[in-house]
Amino acid sequence: MTKNKNENLQEKLQEIKDKEGIIGYILRDEKSASIDLKDPKKIIEYAMLSSTAFDVGLNISEDLQMGELETILLESEETKLLSMNIDEQRLSLFMEKNVNHEKIYKELT
Amino acid sequence: MNRDLYAIALNNALKEIKKAYPEIHHSFIFSNESNIIAADTETDQETMTYILESFETLKEDSKAIGNIKSFQLVGKNGKIMLVNIDDMNLVLKTSKNMDNTHIYSVTNIILPTILKTLEAFTPTHLQPAPPEQKETNHKELEVDTLSGFFAGDSVQIDTEILTAWNINDDPRERVRAALTGEKIVQEPVENVKIETLDGNSTLCKVKEIDDQKLKGKNIIRIPEKLCKNLEINKGDLVKVQPM
Repeated sequence: MTKNKNENLQEKLQEIKDKEGIIGYILRDEKSASIDLKDPKKIIEYAMLSSTAFDVGLNISEDLQMGELETILLESEETKLLSMNIDEQRLSLFMEKNVNHEKIYKELT
Repeated sequence: MNRDLYAIALNNALKEIKKAYPEIHHSFIFSNESNIIAADTETDQETMTYILESFETLKEDSKAIGNIKSFQLVGKNGKIMLVNIDDMNLVLKTSKNMDNTHIYSVTNIILPTILKTLEAFTPTHLQPAPPEQKETNHKELEVDTLSGFFAGDSVQIDTEILTAWNINDDPRERVRAALTGEKIVQEPVENVKIETLDGNSTLCKVKEIDDQKLKGKNIIRIPEKLCKNLEINKGDLVKVQPM
């Protein structure tokens, strides 16, 4: 990933994270991770969930021949997790359930 | 409508939904306890088991955000969705182009309505009975004391009551049996909970009444020692529930 693309993504994430209902994000590549969550106590739990969601998503898409993974959306009663591959990075965005995730997705892609 | 018909009806419903929405490639329904309740004819067991296992893994780590209500995966060639409807989960594998409003109609309107309608016609509900409903399984029986050297620790109840309790009434088991052709295993009741009118209760082993003269009298024979512990006497009424 080029520096410009990375900077561009970081800028977008900074804007998104300040929006109402956004809980935070985890952005990972092979070498590093940047995490910005409103509740730091949940970092480990959220990081594990993010990782599991990607693993499960990748396995299902591969084994059921669904092609390259684009997005994963996991919803509970109050929270949503939107995960996606952006270039060579894995992004997991945590947000409240009422947030329009499709709009957020469009802003990022 | 009995439970076998319920399973057939639900399978047919999935088949009809698939006909109405050709973008749906696979669909099946499983309970929160991971029992497959219904599936369309084209979804093989291996695929269903694989998806179930994947969701189990995800469910464990999802506790950080609460119980999963839905899961959606979009790949280049298709979508897969899981939607929780009460204590059931619907899984759909669709083409990537399937309209989200159509998906919403199936997952949030059509299938919940079908489930509700079917349940209205079934003698037992698919949802696990809440505690107060389970109470209807109890019997009110008159106490008769068991004394003597061979009294033992077990209480004695009429064979008919025990047989009625033996029937496996878990609707999921019955639907699954109807789908898979497996025989329902009837587990004998080995223990009962006895509750007195004063609120004292105990768990103990249960046997059939062995004295022919005492059969069919709606009584429970309780060893004297146990009667003392429960502070009850011959002729008192107690609530008895299979465990």
